Amino acid sequence: MAEIQLKNVSKRWGSFVGVDNFDMTIADREFLVLLGPSGCGKTTTMRMIAGLEEATDGDIVIGGRVVNDLDPKDRDIAMVFQSYGLYPNMNVYENIRFPLKVRKVDPATHDERVMRAADMVELREFLHRKPAELSGGQRQRVALARAIVREPNVFLMDEPLSNLDAKLRVSTRAQIKNLQHELKVTTIYVTHDQIEAMTLADRVVVMKRGVIQQVGTPTEIYDRPANTFVAGFIGSPAMNLMEGTLSGGTFSGDHVSISGLSGPDGPVTLGFRAEDAAVAETGPQAEITAPVYTMELLGDATMITVKAGGALVSVKASKDYRIEIDEPVGLNIPAEICHLFNQKTGARIDV
Amino acid sequence: MSVPSSMRQPMALRLSSAGFLAFWCVIAAFPIFWIAVMSVKDPVDAFAANPFEVIFGPETVASGRGLSIVSIVVGIAVLWAAIHLALNTLPRLIKQYSPPHLLVVGWIIGVLVFALGFLIVFFGLLPPVLSAVNTVLGPFGKPILGMTTEHYRAVWVDNAFYENFINSLIITAGVVTVSLTVGTLAGYGLARSGSNLAFWILIIALVFRALPHSVLVAGYLPPFINSAEILRPILGDAAPTLYGQPWAVIAVLVSINQPFTIWMLRSFFQNIPTELDEAARVDGCTHFQAFRWVIMPVMWPGVITTGLFSFLLAYNDYLVCSLLLDAQNQTMVPAIAGYFNRETTTTDQVEAVAAAVSITAPLFLLVMIFQRQIVSGLTAGAVKG
Repeated sequence: MAEIQLKNVSKRWGSFVGVDNFDMTIADREFLVLLGPSGCGKTTTMRMIAGLEEATDGDIVIGGRVVNDLDPKDRDIAMVFQSYGLYPNMNVYENIRFPLKVRKVDPATHDERVMRAADMVELREFLHRKPAELSGGQRQRVALARAIVREPNVFLMDEPLSNLDAKLRVSTRAQIKNLQHELKVTTIYVTHDQIEAMTLADRVVVMKRGVIQQVGTPTEIYDRPANTFVAGFIGSPAMNLMEGTLSGGTFSGDHVSISGLSGPDGPVTLGFRAEDAAVAETGPQAEITAPVYTMELLGDATMITVKAGGALVSVKASKDYRIEIDEPVGLNIPAEICHLFNQKTGARIDV
Repeated sequence: MSVPSSMRQPMALRLSSAGFLAFWCVIAAFPIFWIAVMSVKDPVDAFAANPFEVIFGPETVASGRGLSIVSIVVGIAVLWAAIHLALNTLPRLIKQYSPPHLLVVGWIIGVLVFALGFLIVFFGLLPPVLSAVNTVLGPFGKPILGMTTEHYRAVWVDNAFYENFINSLIITAGVVTVSLTVGTLAGYGLARSGSNLAFWILIIALVFRALPHSVLVAGYLPPFINSAEILRPILGDAAPTLYGQPWAVIAVLVSINQPFTIWMLRSFFQNIPTELDEAARVDGCTHFQAFRWVIMPVMWPGVITTGLFSFLLAYNDYLVCSLLLDAQNQTMVPAIAGYFNRETTTTDQVEAVAAAVSITAPLFLLVMIFQRQIVSGLTAGAVKG
């Protein structure tokens, strides 16, 4: 049972800023996902919580205790590494048992606890194998079992799925979600994959170059991105972002004219999600009229892309919609699906 | 496993590489083969101008010290059986009878018993039996190949070569122990440290390794000779004279060898992913526990390979031992050189050759014992990749 507080935590190497003024509170039993592209400081933040990296500034508080100067072993955490970090000389059983052994937990309970952890990740029949004899997914499950065997206060997971293939990723993701629900342990999960973030998180923290961009539930992040970076990072495909000017409630740009908006006049960035818009007849009633740049068949839908407002804009059409490249097409973008962003700062313009 | 045809080497390349390998083997093996042949012959044969006389040894045969065809065949058969036993039956028996936590002790006892049994059978039992058989067999029992062990007996028993052997053992054991202990700790520290200081320490170590050995010896010689006077203010009358002491040589050899062991162990440690350290730290280990329980078990191949190199350096060293040790404490290599340098008879020369053959035996033994360990790949499965 532990609440984690990060009070203005920063990490700098010389003049390079890895994490800048990270300030937030992670509730007990919360599943928090740190999301961002490579080098955004998400892993550094997690390693500072683990004690593998020292915070340059600020306090890290776990369960009401400032842990800045504590060794990793004294912070009551468990960590799962991207590349497993299993002990190659020990078999699966000994790997899972290792935390109990070094922490001098009563030996009589070892067997039962190892077995329970192994059962949770379905590893019972592999207990006598060495890590080298396991597949990637099995190795990552050993790492998971090693983390849960001690029932720590905090789980830290550093991109645990990124070395697995797509199918295994989906099933292991489900397993992690279920484990966390069952064990009710505060979990911090680092990933660059926004689908993992959306599916797993209670709350998502989107980071860029060491700075928090937005904190919110997956729905908030998806429906109301705080700036163009979050809008362009979350969703598959990401939000369409067009450049243009707003005057008197009408957004106009290259091949595009959307009226009925409200916002300050001047240059703005307008965004909308591909699945919210629709294909329409060409003509004045269509907000975008442009030749088709490309058409992609996704199976459940057809993706039509045109060039408008200085960017490639994608819209989802029904799955049997067909059109040739360079044919003109009209796209229907109602004003209520549009998000407006400041063109200079990228920040959301709320009305 | 069949090699795909696109990867197969052309015939000419295969022939030339095989030819080169064969040529290299002959060049490398010839000296050992030749001194081994010389060492079991009468001096007249050993220094004969005709190489066939050296190999077959007519003079040795004429003086009644030869092997018949039967003896050769039986000897080879016994040797083969012994090797077979040592490689297959012995490990199985040891595994079966020694309790798991005393496996090392089991091995030591097993190997000692086996070696003793082999010596008794091969040198005690076989010669009288074969000589009795040979007299019965007639033409097949006639000795054709000169073979005598008298030089070995002369070296080990009459010349007390075992004293040199013990000295060599003390010095190599000391050098290997010290340089591995310091080397693993320093190598681990340097491999895991990202600081500039670590880099410069390594460069300085390299510079010291590059110095000629004679520089170190020349520097150490005067203080070692005068060490009793130098140390008297500290140790009083108990101050020792370091010159001539084995542990003085150990100190010098370690200082020569340490930079190399540090470099080598450091590169082994660098191949161990840091994730292992980190996982161990998070799982509850202190720095030292992580090193002891997680890193060292993965490091054995590196430690053994490095230990083997340290062993070879100390075992084969001539310069340091010959300069810093007096005649009574001499190790094997300088002692053999001493045999050659004396103004002596040809018999003494063959004895020196026999001593030279003797000192290669431990090397073969060592490489055979550790060949399984001298492979990397123990980290397989630790991390992705």
